[in-house]
Amino acid sequence: MRTIPVFRRTRTQTAKSAAAKDIQISSQWRLIYLKFKRHKLARISMYVLGFLYLVALFAQFIAPYGLQSYDSKYVNASPMTIRFVDSEGKFHLRPFVYELKSARDPETMRKIFVADPEKRYSLQFFVKGEEYKFLGMFSTTRHLFGVEEPGRLFLLGTDAMGRDMFSRIVLGSQISLSIPLVGVGISFVLGLIIGGISGYFGGWIDSIIQRIIEIIRSFPTLPLWMALSAAIPPRIPIVTMYLYIVIIFAFIGWTDLARVVRGKFISLKNEDYVVAAKIAGVGNTKIIVKHLLPGFLSYLVVATTLAIPNMILGETAMSFLGLGIRSPATSWGVLLQEAQKIENVALYPWKLIPLAFVVLTVLAYNFLGDGLRDAADPYKK
Amino acid sequence: MKRSHSLLVLLMCMVVLAAGCTSNNTAQPSETKKAVETGEAKPTPVAVEGTEGLKEAPMLAALVTDGKLPPVEERMPVAADIMIEPVVEEIGQYGGDWNMAWNGPGDKWGVGMITEEALFRFNKEGNKVEPNVAKSFEVNDDSTVFTIHLREGMRWSDGQPFTADDVLFYWEHMLTKETFGKKIYDAYYSVDPVSGEKALAEVKKVDDYTFTVTHKYPSVQFLERVAIDNKWFFAPAHFHKTILPEFVGDAKTLEITKQWGYEDPKQFLVETGYYYWLYPQIPTLRPWIAKTDANSDQFIMERNPYYWKTDEAGQQLPYMDRIVENKIQDPSQKLLGTLSGEYNFGTFDAGDFTVLKENEKKGSFRVIPWTQPTWSSNGIQLNQTTKDPNLRKLFQDIRFREAISIGVNREEVSDIVTNGLADPIQASVPEGVVGYQEGWAQQWAEFDPARANQLLDEIGLTKRDRNNFRTFEDGSDLTLTIFESDPNKNAFLELLKKYFEDLGLKTNIKLVDNGALFDLKYANEVPIHTENISVANIALRPDTLVPLRIITPWFGHYGLYSQSGGTEGVKPEGDVAEILNIWNKIKASKSADEINQLANEIYKIHMKNQWVIGYAGPTPTLLVAANNMHNIPGDLVWVDEYRTLGHAHPAQFFIK
Amino acid sequence: MLQYSIKRILMAIPVVVFISFIVFYIIQLPPGDYVSSYSAQMTAAGEVMTQEDMDQMRANLGLDRPVYEQYAIWIKKIVLHGDFGFSFNYNKPVLDVVKQYMGLTLVVSLVTMAFQYLVAIPIGIYTAVKQYSAGDYFFSGISFLGMATPNFLLAIILMYLSYTWFGDPLLGLFSNEYVNAPWSMAKLMDLLKHLVIPVIVIGLASTADLIRVMRGQMLDELNKPNVVTARSKGLSETKILFKYPTRAALNPIVSTFGWSLSSIFTGSTITAIVLNLPIQGPVMYKALLGQDMYLAGSWLLFMALLTVLGTLISDILLAWLDPKIRTEFRGN
Repeated sequence: MRTIPVFRRTRTQTAKSAAAKDIQISSQWRLIYLKFKRHKLARISMYVLGFLYLVALFAQFIAPYGLQSYDSKYVNASPMTIRFVDSEGKFHLRPFVYELKSARDPETMRKIFVADPEKRYSLQFFVKGEEYKFLGMFSTTRHLFGVEEPGRLFLLGTDAMGRDMFSRIVLGSQISLSIPLVGVGISFVLGLIIGGISGYFGGWIDSIIQRIIEIIRSFPTLPLWMALSAAIPPRIPIVTMYLYIVIIFAFIGWTDLARVVRGKFISLKNEDYVVAAKIAGVGNTKIIVKHLLPGFLSYLVVATTLAIPNMILGETAMSFLGLGIRSPATSWGVLLQEAQKIENVALYPWKLIPLAFVVLTVLAYNFLGDGLRDAADPYKK
Repeated sequence: MKRSHSLLVLLMCMVVLAAGCTSNNTAQPSETKKAVETGEAKPTPVAVEGTEGLKEAPMLAALVTDGKLPPVEERMPVAADIMIEPVVEEIGQYGGDWNMAWNGPGDKWGVGMITEEALFRFNKEGNKVEPNVAKSFEVNDDSTVFTIHLREGMRWSDGQPFTADDVLFYWEHMLTKETFGKKIYDAYYSVDPVSGEKALAEVKKVDDYTFTVTHKYPSVQFLERVAIDNKWFFAPAHFHKTILPEFVGDAKTLEITKQWGYEDPKQFLVETGYYYWLYPQIPTLRPWIAKTDANSDQFIMERNPYYWKTDEAGQQLPYMDRIVENKIQDPSQKLLGTLSGEYNFGTFDAGDFTVLKENEKKGSFRVIPWTQPTWSSNGIQLNQTTKDPNLRKLFQDIRFREAISIGVNREEVSDIVTNGLADPIQASVPEGVVGYQEGWAQQWAEFDPARANQLLDEIGLTKRDRNNFRTFEDGSDLTLTIFESDPNKNAFLELLKKYFEDLGLKTNIKLVDNGALFDLKYANEVPIHTENISVANIALRPDTLVPLRIITPWFGHYGLYSQSGGTEGVKPEGDVAEILNIWNKIKASKSADEINQLANEIYKIHMKNQWVIGYAGPTPTLLVAANNMHNIPGDLVWVDEYRTLGHAHPAQFFIK
Repeated sequence: MLQYSIKRILMAIPVVVFISFIVFYIIQLPPGDYVSSYSAQMTAAGEVMTQEDMDQMRANLGLDRPVYEQYAIWIKKIVLHGDFGFSFNYNKPVLDVVKQYMGLTLVVSLVTMAFQYLVAIPIGIYTAVKQYSAGDYFFSGISFLGMATPNFLLAIILMYLSYTWFGDPLLGLFSNEYVNAPWSMAKLMDLLKHLVIPVIVIGLASTADLIRVMRGQMLDELNKPNVVTARSKGLSETKILFKYPTRAALNPIVSTFGWSLSSIFTGSTITAIVLNLPIQGPVMYKALLGQDMYLAGSWLLFMALLTVLGTLISDILLAWLDPKIRTEFRGN
C-alpha cells in the first residue's frame, strides 16, 4: 500500500504546472501518466491504435470504394504497384497506376492480369467516387484518394467478387475495432461488480454467485448461437446485429474477470488497511472503491487489454462458423473467413493481409497494456 | 406406323451391333435386346472362352492354396453365365488400394453408389438399361409379363448360392412387408389407362434361376424404373431369416438389435435392410465388402472373392484389392489430401477447378470433367403455392418471372460465381440430355433492366416505399425472401440481392441449417430457394418436374395435393394441372415412343412457363484421379439415376 | 478445509442437475431435429425421404415426444442404468462413441497442456526477472504473435506450408498406413510428427496468454516489500524467487486452472476440425449441429461436471496457496 499525500487534489487543480513538476505531491493518475510516457513501446502502440481508430472513424472517406463494388472484370486481382517512373523511363511527381487488362488462362481458367502501359491513371486526392454518408451526417461523393473513372486502384488486390480489399479492410475495421471495446466494457463492468461483491461479502452471497457463474459457463454456446441465428430476422441493420453479438459476448465473457476479481478481493480483504478502514466505520462501497480497487488495478488493466484482442478473435471465430456478420457487411473476421480456403492460401495470398491488421491491433493493445501496467505499478522505479 | 416400325428395328440392330463392337473378343456379351413390336423374344446365347481362362487376384490365390477358399471356378457362376465387364482403356492388373476421403457414414451413398450392383443398370448413353445381376430377360408384346433370368452358379459374398429364392424372399418378406422403411416402389405398380387405378405386380418363381413379374396393365418402362427406384431386387434370404421378426419373433429381433449396438428394432431393420453395404456381417453381391466399422476413422472394404464378373481376359474382377475411406471433417482436407497424393481419387465442384489444374503436375493427377444434366448451376425456384397470397399471385404472373430473369446480368454471375466455367444462359435442359429444346437456353437470358422495370410497372408494382422499394398495389410490403442452407451460395445470393434491389424489389437472404430448411420446405414456408433441377429423363424420375409429392420448391404444395390424394395442399390449375394430365397418360402408356413424345410436351410446358429461373449454365463435376489409376471414362453424365461414379463401373479401375 | 470441501461437493449436486436440464433444452432449441438433418443429407445424396418416412423415423427414435419427456427418459436411464443414451449419428450407444475418441483426446490435450504450463511458467518468470532484456522482447514478441492469430487460419496456413515444403500436409493424427496398424515405434513417431502442428496452433495461444499473465503477476510481486526485505536479509535470489513472488503470482493462474480442466476436452474445436483431429471436440460440435441429442447432452453434462469440479479444485488450491485465504476459511 502506498501513502497518498493528503492535500494533493486541490494543489494539482490550481497550480497545475508547478505541482506537475513536483512528483512528490502528484496524484496517483499523474504518476501513472508520467511513468507511462517513458515506456517507448507503449507510446508507439498508443499512436498506432489512435491512428487505426481515426481511420475507422473516417473509413467511408478513406476507402476508395464501397462494400458492394462487385466487378467481374477484376476478380482475384493481385495488389497494384504504384509507380513513379513509367515504361519510357519518365519520372512523374504524381504517382500512378496502370490499367489492368485481364485474360483467362484457358487451361486453368485462372484470371491473369497484365498491366497495360498505355493507360495511366494518376493518383488523385479528393476524388469523386461512390456516394456515402460522411460520419453519418451528410452525403458526399468525395473520397480521400483514388483514381479517376474508368481507372481502378487496388492497393491490396481484390477478392473473389472483384471488390477492393483495401476498402473492405478499412471499412471492416469499423466493426472489428468497436465491437471489442463495447463488449469488453460491458463484461468489465459486470465482472468487476459481481466479482467484487462475491469476493468482498463472502458467505452465501459468494456461494450463490459462484454457482450462477458455473451454470453460465456450462451453457453450450454453439446451439445458443444457432438458435439465435435462426431467430434473427434477415434484414436487421448492421448495428442491431452487432449489438446482439456484443451482448452475447459480454454475457459469457464477464465470468472470467469476475472469478479473478473475487480471488483478489478475498486475498486483499484481510489486509491491514482494509481492516483499519472497517474499524474506522468507512462504508463498504468506499472501502471497495478507494482502498481495495487500487490494489489490483494493474491486474485489471492487464486483464482488460488481454480481453480486447480475445474479443477480436472471438468475432473472427463467429464469422468462421457463419454466425456473425454476413456479407456484404464486412469485418476483419468476415475477411479472414473468406481467406480460409486452400485456394486463397495457395493462389491468392494477398487475401491473408487482414491477418496482419488483426495481429497489429492485438500487438498494439498488448504493448499498451504492458506500458499501463508498468506505469501503474507503485513499486517500480 | 410402318415407318416407325422399321426405324425401331433399325435402331435395335444398331444397338446390338454397337454392343457387339465394344467387347473385343469373339464371345458375345450376355445381352438381349428388347422384344420388338412383332412379339418375338430373341435371347442371344452367351459363351465365354472356357473356364481354363479364369484368373484371380494373388491375395485370393494365396487363400485358395491355404485351403481357406474354394478354387475360382467354383466361386464364380457357370462359364456361360459369367458377366464380362468391358474395360474402358485396357486390361488391367491386380493390386492396390483405392484411397478416398469421406465424411463418415453420413456419406453412405458415396460408397454405396460405387459398389452397387443392380438387377439392371443403365447403359453408357443412359437411354436404356442392360442386364447386370440379371443375365437376360424377355418381355411379352404388351409389356405386362417380364421374364427375368439369373446367372447359374452365382453366389453371395459368403459363398451361399444366389437364386430366385432370394428375389422372392425380398419381394414377399421385405419389400411388400415394408420392413426397411420404404414403401413399395412405384415401379411395381401398373396403372389402368382408363380409370387411373394402380395395381400391384405379381412375382412368381419359375425355377431356381428364373422368375416372372406380371403386371395387370402395360408397364413399358418397368425395367428402367426398377433400375432407378429399387436398383437391387433381392436380398440374402439366409441372412435376413436370422433377424426378421417374422422368422425369429419380436423378442429375438430386439435382442439382436441390442447386440449390434442399436436401440430401436425398426431402425435396426432399416439399417440392415436398406443400407446393408456398410456392415461386414451382411453378405452382398458387390465387388467389395465391408471389413471395418463404418464409424471408425478408416472404413475399409475388401474384394469379394465370389464376385461374378471378369474382364475379357478371364480375370476375376475387381482389380483393386481394397477401398479405403478416410474420415475428414472439412472439405479443405479432401483438397489437401488430393494435392499431396494421399487420396488417389476424389470428386470436386467446379469451384476448385483452378487450384486442381494448377497442381496437376506436382500432384501427379488428372482432372476429368463429367457433365451434369442440371438446368443451371446457379438459379432460383419460385414457389408457385407460397403462403402469402400477394406473393403467390406475383410468382404465378409470368411477367414477373420474365422481369427477374432479364434483370440480372448473367455474364457477371458466370464470371464471379463460376469463374467463367458456366455459360450465361437460362435454366434449361442442356444439349444432349433428353428434353432439350432449341432456343430454350436463350429465353429471357439477355440483360435488360429497362424492360424489367417496365414489366414490373405493368404488373402494377408502381408504388414505392420510403426506401424506394416497390410495394404491392395495396401498399403492403413486398419482400422476396430467399432461403438457403449452403454457405457456398453466398456470393451468388449477394449478387442476386444487388440486382433485385436495383429493380426496386426488396430482397432478404435467410440462412438456415439444412435440417431446418428441409422441415420448412415441407411446411410450405419457403417462397424462394436456389435448388437446382437435375434430371436425366423425366419419364423415369418425374419428382423434380411433376408435382407428385412435396419435394421440389417450385411446386410446393401442389405436390402435397397429389400425394394426399386431394385432401391437403393446393389444387393444381392451368399448366400445372396439364402437366399432371400428361403424366397420367405417360403412366398408362403402352409404347416407349408415346412416352417420349408426351414427356417432351411436359418439357415444352416448362419452357413456356419458366418457373425455374437460372442465371448460369451447368458446371461440370470434376473427377480427380491419380495418374497411376486407369480405366476411368471421360465425359459421362454425372447424375443420380446412373449412380454417379458407379456409372464408370469402378470394378474395372486399376492401379499400375 | 475438509468441512468446506464437503459443503462445496454437496452444493455441486443440484447445480449439475439444473445444468443438465438447461443444456438439454438449449440443444434442441435450434429449429429442426436430427431427422431433419438426416433427411436433408439423404435427399442430397439422391434418396427420397417423404414426410411419412420422416415421421416414422421420428417415432422410431423417440423424437416425436415432448422435450421434458425425452429429458426424463434420458435422466432416468443415466441414473438407473448408467446408460447415457444412443447416438443417432453413430448408431451406437453414447458411451461407445465417447470411448472411441477418449484416448486420443487425452493424448492431444495432455501434451498440449504440458507444453503450455511447462513452457509458459518458466518463460513468464524469466521475462519478469529480466525485464526489457532482449530475451524479454523476443519471448514477448512470439507470445503476442501466437495470441494474435486466429487458430483456424494459422492451422490452414501451416498445413499448406507443410504441404509445399515437405509434400505432406500432416492431416489428422496418423498417416493412412498407420491408422489401423498395431502400435509400434514407427507408429509412435508418426503420431509425434502429426502432433507438431496441433500443439503449436492450439498451444501457442494459451501459452502466450499464460506467459503474459505470469509475467504481469511476477512483475507485480517482484517489487513488493516482502521481497525487498528478504533480499536485504541476504536470501539468495533463486530462493526468494520461488518462495515469495512465484507463489503469489500463481494466484490468478490457479483461479482459472480449474477451467482448463474442461478445456482439455474441448480444446480448440475449430482448429481440430481444420486439422482433422479425431478427438472429442469436433465430435461434439457435429453432434450439436446435427442435434444428436443424447450424445451432445451427455457430453455437455460431462463438461458441466468438469467445470463444477474444476471450480472446486481451484478454490481448494487457492486456499492452499495463499495463506491469507486459508485463514479466511478457517474463520468460516
